[in-house]
Amino acid sequence: MRNRRVLVIALATLLAGMATAHAQQSFTATANEVNKKMVKLFGAGGFKGLASYGTGIMVSAKGHILTCNNHILSTSDLRVHVYDGRFYRAKVIFREPELDVAVAKIDDDVDLLPHFDFEKEAARPLAEPGDWVLAMSNCFQIATRDEPMTVQRGVILAYAELRGRRGIFDAAFHGDVYFLDAIACNPGAAGGVLANRKGDLLGILGRELKNTLTDTWINYAIPIQAAVDIQREEKAEKVSMASFVREAIAGTYKQSEKRKKEDRGGYHGIVLVPNVIGATPPYIEEVVPSSPAAQAGLRPDDLIVYVDGEIIPSIKMFRELMRQIGPGAEVRMEVQRANRLHSVKMKLTEQPKVQASK
Amino acid sequence: MRRFLLATLMLLLPATIRAQDLNDELEKMTKEAMRKVGPSVVQIVTQGGIDMVVTSAKGAVFRKALGPTTGVVVSTDGFIISSAFNFINNPTAILVAVPGHKEPYVARKIATDRSRLLTLLKIDANNLPVPGYVPKKEIVEGQWSIALGRTLDAKREQPPAVSVGVISALNRIWSKAIQTDAKISPINYGGPIVDIVGRVQGILVPASPKGDDETAGFEWYDSGIGFAIPMEDVQSVLPRLKEGKDLKKGLLGIRMKTGDIYGAVPEIGEVLKDTAAARAGLKPGDVVLEIDGKPVARMAEIQHLLGPKYEGDKIALKYKRDDKTFDVNNLELVGQLTVLAHPFLGILPMRDDPKLGVDVRYVFAKSPAEKAGLKAGDRIVKFGLAKTDQDFTGQVPGRQQFTTWLNGQGPGTEIKLDVKRKDGKTETLTATLDAMPGSTVGQDYAVPDKLPEEASHKKARAPLETNNKNIKPAKVDPPADKAETGLVKRNTPDGEHKFYLWVPENYDPDIAHGLVVWLHPPGKNKEADFDSFADLWLDFCEENRLIILGPVSDSETWLAGESDMVVAAIHDTLKRYTIDRQRVVAHGLGVGGQMALYLGFNDRDLIRGVATTGAVVTALKDNLLGQRLAFYLAAGDLDPLVKGIAESRTQLQSKRFSVLYREVKNRGREYLDAEQLRELARWIDTLDKQ
Repeated sequence: MRNRRVLVIALATLLAGMATAHAQQSFTATANEVNKKMVKLFGAGGFKGLASYGTGIMVSAKGHILTCNNHILSTSDLRVHVYDGRFYRAKVIFREPELDVAVAKIDDDVDLLPHFDFEKEAARPLAEPGDWVLAMSNCFQIATRDEPMTVQRGVILAYAELRGRRGIFDAAFHGDVYFLDAIACNPGAAGGVLANRKGDLLGILGRELKNTLTDTWINYAIPIQAAVDIQREEKAEKVSMASFVREAIAGTYKQSEKRKKEDRGGYHGIVLVPNVIGATPPYIEEVVPSSPAAQAGLRPDDLIVYVDGEIIPSIKMFRELMRQIGPGAEVRMEVQRANRLHSVKMKLTEQPKVQASK
Repeated sequence: MRRFLLATLMLLLPATIRAQDLNDELEKMTKEAMRKVGPSVVQIVTQGGIDMVVTSAKGAVFRKALGPTTGVVVSTDGFIISSAFNFINNPTAILVAVPGHKEPYVARKIATDRSRLLTLLKIDANNLPVPGYVPKKEIVEGQWSIALGRTLDAKREQPPAVSVGVISALNRIWSKAIQTDAKISPINYGGPIVDIVGRVQGILVPASPKGDDETAGFEWYDSGIGFAIPMEDVQSVLPRLKEGKDLKKGLLGIRMKTGDIYGAVPEIGEVLKDTAAARAGLKPGDVVLEIDGKPVARMAEIQHLLGPKYEGDKIALKYKRDDKTFDVNNLELVGQLTVLAHPFLGILPMRDDPKLGVDVRYVFAKSPAEKAGLKAGDRIVKFGLAKTDQDFTGQVPGRQQFTTWLNGQGPGTEIKLDVKRKDGKTETLTATLDAMPGSTVGQDYAVPDKLPEEASHKKARAPLETNNKNIKPAKVDPPADKAETGLVKRNTPDGEHKFYLWVPENYDPDIAHGLVVWLHPPGKNKEADFDSFADLWLDFCEENRLIILGPVSDSETWLAGESDMVVAAIHDTLKRYTIDRQRVVAHGLGVGGQMALYLGFNDRDLIRGVATTGAVVTALKDNLLGQRLAFYLAAGDLDPLVKGIAESRTQLQSKRFSVLYREVKNRGREYLDAEQLRELARWIDTLDKQ
């Protein structure tokens, strides 16, 4: 009996050892595979706390590299280290600021480089919160030449809208992103890979950004299925990450024009209380008679809580949001009135003509 | 045995496939747990309330509770538990969005548990899903721990945000919390951690073993160190919270003889007035032996046993006095300690006087001293309560002995003094002590416009006179005759950190100098920066006998950990120069001011005054009778922090610290002007008032 127990324990230990080895292999193989399709980038930076290095994803056998459209590309001397230690110079050939990505191409005539088939990857459905993921990048410039990327394991924390900034700059990308529970967005990580356990490409690691709502640093990746509205030759169009990559490789992509900001929103007729402190809550002081607000049934002392599902914590935020909604649009608002929440719909009109003053 | 073997083999034999399966299984279970608890995880949005500012350990200024936070349903009829952190700014509106419900609900705050930092809310909703929870005894280290939150998105049909980790430890924060390595940030505060089968383990709160306010531990966001209150404990406290009563931590009311909570035996140093300990008859010198039948050998063990208790909870206590042991049963803990102000007689003593007694340098107008007839030039030679039965001994300087004795007498106490007048006659005077000016809410300290220039007998290094041959003053090496003056560059004794000194040219080692520790604003750490700062103080250094010490921080901001370096620099200066220990001031602007406040509260044995501009008190501590600390707070009325600074004054005064508050018109966060500088110099000159 005693001997058998010893035997069993020995066996168990042995088997456990094997299992561990296999468990490791399941990540190792993925990490190795993905690493081959990634590059280390070196370019502009090194000042004001901006890194001069970054990460890229190989998307063609001929050396097309998808990366974040950030400051390191602002150089005529962009250098690329591929997984096996070879190094090349590269040039940025296309950028799409609305997607916050760019495609660079290795100068030399290369072929047969391991790469992601981007169209195929982007055709897969979105990953979901709770999925286990690997974030891979050359964060902190730990690797050069043939040294492998840093691999971080985590889960997808949420799939939600990105609202961020670095300093006072707006985040370039505005759509939904994967938030991660791994601290993956470090200097140099932008342009890195977010993959699932099988090595499927899920997203492109983002910049170092702060969440404006909670004032905390966030970790995110832009999903490869992302698509954004852009303006091209004065026409509104939709461009997806996949079409950008396809057309960039084909050399036919046309960059979007800068989106014109709506400088004047529609008229609502709400007069708010004086904006005295940094975050004065948007209480209604007055409703202009027969204005859209009056027709919607809003009243003085109502507290505006949500506009189109967005939380409105301050007067400032209300004004910023309303500036972007033009005449003719209908907005849904939730206001608090005597401890109850009321939902109203308000159709904005043209701003009334200002009467000539004396 | 056979079962074990079977299980082992089943688990391990198809190892190749198993590893992948195991990961798949875990991923599946994680999502299942999310789905199970998700409907009970609500989003909380607050609006309005005061703009609050905190300083994290890294010194960054942060506006609290701006974004949405998380809560958990704890009853089908609409009670929601969340972290008190989320309501710290007293919002005017609280809205709760429940998954699957179209409209958010307006919530009422029912009660707050100030010990475990939880807040209970109520919404008018029914049939809400209440998640199951894990009994405390089933929570073990290493168990999966999945943190859920609901703040990133207004889309409430989405699953909650998730971060996966393990339970790192049990019985943290004095046995109140469990620790997890899941990434915890404001996203999750108030949300649950759940186990792999979807039972709630606890409610996440920002917490720190070192502080007990609502923001303590916030600086650890996303660090892999997170804390949660076990759900079983939340459940057991719910009925009390539902009654609408705020809960406070239960306090015994003792201070230990030493600050060493891990080493020394728990010998009582001070029994606070109107506390459980006072009612039980505990006295200084008693040693606590047992609490609730559990033996305690160190203060830390007492804190672990008392940590989970609330105000009104009863404990059993065994203690030792001399060689006898005593038992106290049903001892009811208190929720608040009566804070006492320092007493004030109303004089400034002459300094550097080796003779027995205290020479009166100055008598404050309308003070007890003035009312009793005390005059400048008088010499206090004996003192006491009912009669003047206390002699000056010469063991320590008279000024120090008198202050220590006064500290033991509360405001309102009648004292008697034998006073030797200038003409040689001795009289007995009676005075009723006041509270230290500035230590009552709404009543600031006003520094006298003019103080007598003569402040010292200039015998700081002379041996003390005694009236008893058996008394030997503690031997200290006096500072040298000659010391460097002007701008002096030095290093801390470990050679690691450099610091600057400005020593006035008229430095005299026989005169005790005040020490102003200047904590420079971030980045202003060059020699030229310190030099130009010292320039502003040049005249005051000579007239008021002050030395300026400028520790150098190389970080972008001051780090709490740098206090060690500052303390080392102060000790080094105390050794080399004649410094008045009663006038050591931490001084700073903005983040430097935050550091000054931190030093003041945390190095109480060294710092006697804190003078700041544009800094807010964030981790308030108690006034200690044995260790005086006074505050000079300046604010520009254009500084966005001005409200917080004004609030800091009230907070400090409610803890009975002496405060002088100056709000300057049409100024932002800038350094003091000439008039304020003069006032501050006089304020420092009165730090040793009695």
